[in-house]
Amino acid sequence: MRSERSYELGPLTELVLRYALPGAVLIFCVLSHFAEAWQSVLMGLALCLAVLVTAHTLTSKIRRISLRKSELDIQLIQSQKMAAIGVLSSGVAHEINTPLAIISQEAELIQHAFGRGVLEGLKEAPEIKDSVAQIVLQVDHCREITHKLLSFARKREAISQETNINGLIEDMVQLVEREAKLNNIRINRKYAQGLPPVVTDPSLLRQVVLNLLNNAVQAIQDGGEVTASTGLEGQNIAVMKFTDTGCGISKDDLANIFNPFFTTKPPGKGTGLGLSICLTILERLGGTVSVQSEPGKGTTFAVRLPVGRRVGQ
Amino acid sequence: MEKTRVLVVDDERDFVELFINRFSKRDLDVAGVTSGAEALDYLDQHEVDVVVLDVKMPGMDGLETLQEIKKRHSFVEVIMLTGHGSVQSGLDGMSYGAYDYILKPFKIDDLLKRIHKASERKLLKAKGGA
Amino acid sequence: MTLETSVLVVDDEERFSSNMVKLLQVNKIKAKAVNSGEAALKDVAENQYDVILLDVKMPGLTGTATLKRLREAGCSAKVIVLTGHASVDDAVELLNTGAYDYLLKPCKTEKLLKMIGMAHEQKMMEDKGVS
Repeated sequence: MRSERSYELGPLTELVLRYALPGAVLIFCVLSHFAEAWQSVLMGLALCLAVLVTAHTLTSKIRRISLRKSELDIQLIQSQKMAAIGVLSSGVAHEINTPLAIISQEAELIQHAFGRGVLEGLKEAPEIKDSVAQIVLQVDHCREITHKLLSFARKREAISQETNINGLIEDMVQLVEREAKLNNIRINRKYAQGLPPVVTDPSLLRQVVLNLLNNAVQAIQDGGEVTASTGLEGQNIAVMKFTDTGCGISKDDLANIFNPFFTTKPPGKGTGLGLSICLTILERLGGTVSVQSEPGKGTTFAVRLPVGRRVGQ
Repeated sequence: MEKTRVLVVDDERDFVELFINRFSKRDLDVAGVTSGAEALDYLDQHEVDVVVLDVKMPGMDGLETLQEIKKRHSFVEVIMLTGHGSVQSGLDGMSYGAYDYILKPFKIDDLLKRIHKASERKLLKAKGGA
Repeated sequence: MTLETSVLVVDDEERFSSNMVKLLQVNKIKAKAVNSGEAALKDVAENQYDVILLDVKMPGLTGTATLKRLREAGCSAKVIVLTGHASVDDAVELLNTGAYDYLLKPCKTEKLLKMIGMAHEQKMMEDKGVS
């Protein structure tokens, strides 16, 4: 979501602003104040320069502020979106599940009727049977979706425990490593030594880490590297980064990757819930997740968590 | 302090016996069964803090057993045990509410630490609910 | 196994409960449908059932309230909760108040049949005083 681009003037604009404009002012000054003192010429120049510098710093500052602001906006919108989806999904699931249940019952009753031979002698019998089988199959798909929505809406309570972040990540790395090796993917560890234990819910954090590692590995088609690193920002923020040398994420997709059911994986390969689950969990843990990506080069997901202290300690 | 009550579930009887033998020496109250169905029966009749559950079992597999345990005994913490590191079963296990995951072969002390962490969580959860 | 099982289906969605009865009958299970918790209580006072399939979200008496009243009335049928609703938490609550198990709608008939069989078996064991 954070596209990091330094502020730059276009070459032509720069030329005009830096040289042509002051030049024009200079010539104008020289012409109009021909015999006047050089003072006014210098004044003009200084003025031009001042305006330029101010304009330049202002623009870049505004640019930076609006970038920060839009980041906050995105985070806020995202968390509102997740909350809305939670409410929506329970409502939708209920409304859809009952009709869905009835459709599947009807299909099953029809199949029982087939079993009793009601279609006997009918030329179209195989077609009709095939159609009903399709209905059963498609209802199954729908059921999977609504049931996943339900598990998404389910709230899991967070219980804080002192957690060794490096150890937790290493566990998940080992789980992923065997499958990664089969695809010629190497996993590098860059764990910071002497990290303080983080007070958080380890089982929820494991889910986040495993999802991110799994995504990193799956982003690499044929051979590459995944790097898991940890560190401390200031005194109170633990940072975990997962970098892959995979396909990267396009700008359009970046805006959507945290949305439930958004996936770039082929059908059946992913539910599209992994990252939104990560986001929901991290919100509950008081942490954040951010992503930087360059298509064709790779992606980095960074998780930040307050080191925290358990109440009463 | 009371001993932590552990139930180990693995279809290999030798492993279960070894487990009970080793962990009983570590001041745990350990019992073992060799299938998911037996585990559910055991849990219906006994108080358990932590279940150590093999992922790959014939019949009712580890993930199914996990779901049933969480459904009926949501306070029990479950540590999944796997000989083959399958990422998908890891993801599923965690979304069904497994507390932790450990790869076979493991060191006794390593698993012991995880068991203690899991039982700590159960205590904290009970306190929070009170 | 020739275990004769009788089931009461309680669901405010008429089509769902009547279909369920048909499907159970096809599978050689005696079944009857009612469309509210109140009707279920009335029916149970006169008839014996091994298993009751109970919806959670119903107008009037909800599934939870119905379950409580059934128990108070001394009904010993095993109750399987069928819910289309998101709130698995509610279902867990129902388990704690004595439901045998729960299933999410739509459920596979196969799975439901298996569960009904197990519930009935357990009821027989309890009736015989084995437990």
